Amino acid sequence: MSHVPAPPSRRSFLAAAAGSSLLVACGSSLTPGAESTDAASASPVSTAVPTGKITLVVADADDTTMTPGLLAAFREKYPNVTFKRQYTGWDDYLKSINTTMSADSAPDIAQFVSGMNNLVKGRLLLDVGGYGKAYGWSRRFPGLDQITFSADGRTAGTGALYGVPGGLSFEGVYCNKAKVRKLGLAVPPATLAELEALFAKAKAAGETALVAGNLDGGLNHPFNVLLSVHLKPEDREAWAFGRKGAKITGPEAVTAATTLKRWVDQGYVTPKVNGTSDNDATAAFARGEGVFRISGNWAAAAVDKGLGEDAGLFNMPPITKGGPLRTTGAGVYYCVSSKSKNAAAAAAFLDFCATRQASAVTAKAGFMAPDAGAMPQQSGLLGDVRTGWQGIVKDSGLQPFIQNASTPTMPDTLTTQLQLLAGGKAGVEKFLAALQADFDQFHS
Amino acid sequence: MATTTTPRRAARPVRKDTGPPPHSPSTTRRRRRAVALLYVLPALLPYTLFAVLPALHTAYLSLFDWDGVTLPSFIGLDNYRRVATDPQLRAAAWHAGALIVFFSVLPIAIGLVSAALVARRSGRRGTSLIRTLLFLPQVVPLVAVAVIWRWVYAENGTLNQALRAIGLGRLTDSWLGSFTWALPAVGLVGTWVVAGLCMVLFLSGTQRIDQEIYEAARMDGAGPVREFWSITVPLLRPEMAVALSITVIAALSSFDLIYITTGGGPGNSTVVPGILIYRLAFGGGAVGLASALAVVLTLVISVAVVLINHLARERS
Repeated sequence: MSHVPAPPSRRSFLAAAAGSSLLVACGSSLTPGAESTDAASASPVSTAVPTGKITLVVADADDTTMTPGLLAAFREKYPNVTFKRQYTGWDDYLKSINTTMSADSAPDIAQFVSGMNNLVKGRLLLDVGGYGKAYGWSRRFPGLDQITFSADGRTAGTGALYGVPGGLSFEGVYCNKAKVRKLGLAVPPATLAELEALFAKAKAAGETALVAGNLDGGLNHPFNVLLSVHLKPEDREAWAFGRKGAKITGPEAVTAATTLKRWVDQGYVTPKVNGTSDNDATAAFARGEGVFRISGNWAAAAVDKGLGEDAGLFNMPPITKGGPLRTTGAGVYYCVSSKSKNAAAAAAFLDFCATRQASAVTAKAGFMAPDAGAMPQQSGLLGDVRTGWQGIVKDSGLQPFIQNASTPTMPDTLTTQLQLLAGGKAGVEKFLAALQADFDQFHS
Repeated sequence: MATTTTPRRAARPVRKDTGPPPHSPSTTRRRRRAVALLYVLPALLPYTLFAVLPALHTAYLSLFDWDGVTLPSFIGLDNYRRVATDPQLRAAAWHAGALIVFFSVLPIAIGLVSAALVARRSGRRGTSLIRTLLFLPQVVPLVAVAVIWRWVYAENGTLNQALRAIGLGRLTDSWLGSFTWALPAVGLVGTWVVAGLCMVLFLSGTQRIDQEIYEAARMDGAGPVREFWSITVPLLRPEMAVALSITVIAALSSFDLIYITTGGGPGNSTVVPGILIYRLAFGGGAVGLASALAVVLTLVISVAVVLINHLARERS
């Protein structure tokens, strides 16, 4: 056991959600750019929730019931705090949040997405390290080191703390139990090879084995998970977090990409996958199309509603039987604006996310609670999700999406390249080389 | 006429108030011009504030290497050098060129024919209904149009259902996900949107044409086809210039339609300059490069429009 590679550690919990974002922040002067104002670090730190009437503006892209639920639960406890929530759709949030946070009227609390680490350099995010120490966050939240950034915002895991996770998410393999029974498939498979054998059986029976949609790059879910299974955790993390000199062109990555390509070529994946969107793929699976689908727990509610008792989920199997579980995941993180006048109240909300009350809200919304033990027992698909999450946590197997924090352009590049790969326009080597080229251009 | 008389009338009290020494004609003219400027001011001010200054600011930003948040560094014309050499940008330029066929050539052809047909039956029942139906796509927001067409082109969408219904099931494709068909598919949505506008433009043009010309032609034995080529088309040249300007601008600066339907995919097969500008500025953290591309795109469009108008004037 002593030779087992170092587990990806708690840092992998944090991976933040997709994308990156930057926007023209037209200041009043003609010279662009944020002025590097004086230290954004926490001023006087207090764990007492202020008593006067306080309004906190919250910006987020959380389309589940989690963020509104947490806000409501917090307000129940502290009626003097009112929230003004500014919800924006995911894509638009990614593109606009950096401008929003640069404005004088920046929200007090914002959902953190990768790309926002650029705000660290502009000193627009509050260093909440002082609050973290006072509240004891390091004991109560998993993986805070991933929302910890160096002063230039480019390296995670070192420097100052900028937020906490409200809820976490992970990728798993959904299955349609009715079809699994009908076709006599043995789930869960113990190895990746067994999973592929199940795909082959389903395909032979005339079913779509793996439901997917790549119009907007949804094949990144199986690809990310395949990378998690194949790559050494430290290599995968180095690339996902944009560490200089990291490579995604090695033999393990080639195996991962080749596997995905084979799934497409063998006809396991939804035919003409480039013409279906990721959401439509989830909807199709929930309607009873296909047998398996690799997606995150965020799709659990939709799948549960559609398939009911026939919905199931298991963890992505390792390469060797009994090996450590590995998968890809992200989370919803909250950070605080350095311009907030109510930092103490905002920090109190961040702290609230680790409470038992918060866990109930988080779990109900389909997220994994920071306090894993506090998640309520559930049956059916949501029970499967809970069990899956506990397995991942036990093996410290949650790893970041490769497109989130590697380079700002990676979400677009990965989508484009996956479409070329799935459409037969690019081979595995060319596909990986294109991803590496994007990486090298940014980190040169 | 109203526009020219109003300033003069309004200028009069100013002249009276300024007292006895009579002004020389040149002072009067200068003063009149100043007053005229005052009238333009309410329009000029927002235009300068919200169109001219941001445009100049964009041009200024194009000289910097800037991620949108931190302090920028001045790099002169480097961004323009990259615009000229980047192969992805060249592909985007080609796609925009192809879109001109779908946004300009096809709609103008369709518009001309439908205008001629509708004009011939003017006054008959149903004409205004046809006109309204053809113009309808113009009224629907482009984003909604794009969402609708995504359903039409989907694997189980209306188009494939229709093909299967008439026994052409083997022709079905996942149109927006096909490297061959994505660009024409998106282009045809553009055609659908713009054709109605062209028709209405041309229809108003045909009403300007003296009916006697048609009658004379008919007396000389001209059929509807001859009428179309010898009278309608040549006399609609001014409207065609307007239609061409509007649609070429729409083709070259297209963004929303493509952003919603394909996002530039599959691969890079529907990437256009607008998509690249957006990706670079809002996702890629290359605001300077995006600005440079925007400036180049603006210049190209301006030159195209000037050329079109120049040609139209020369011929007429």
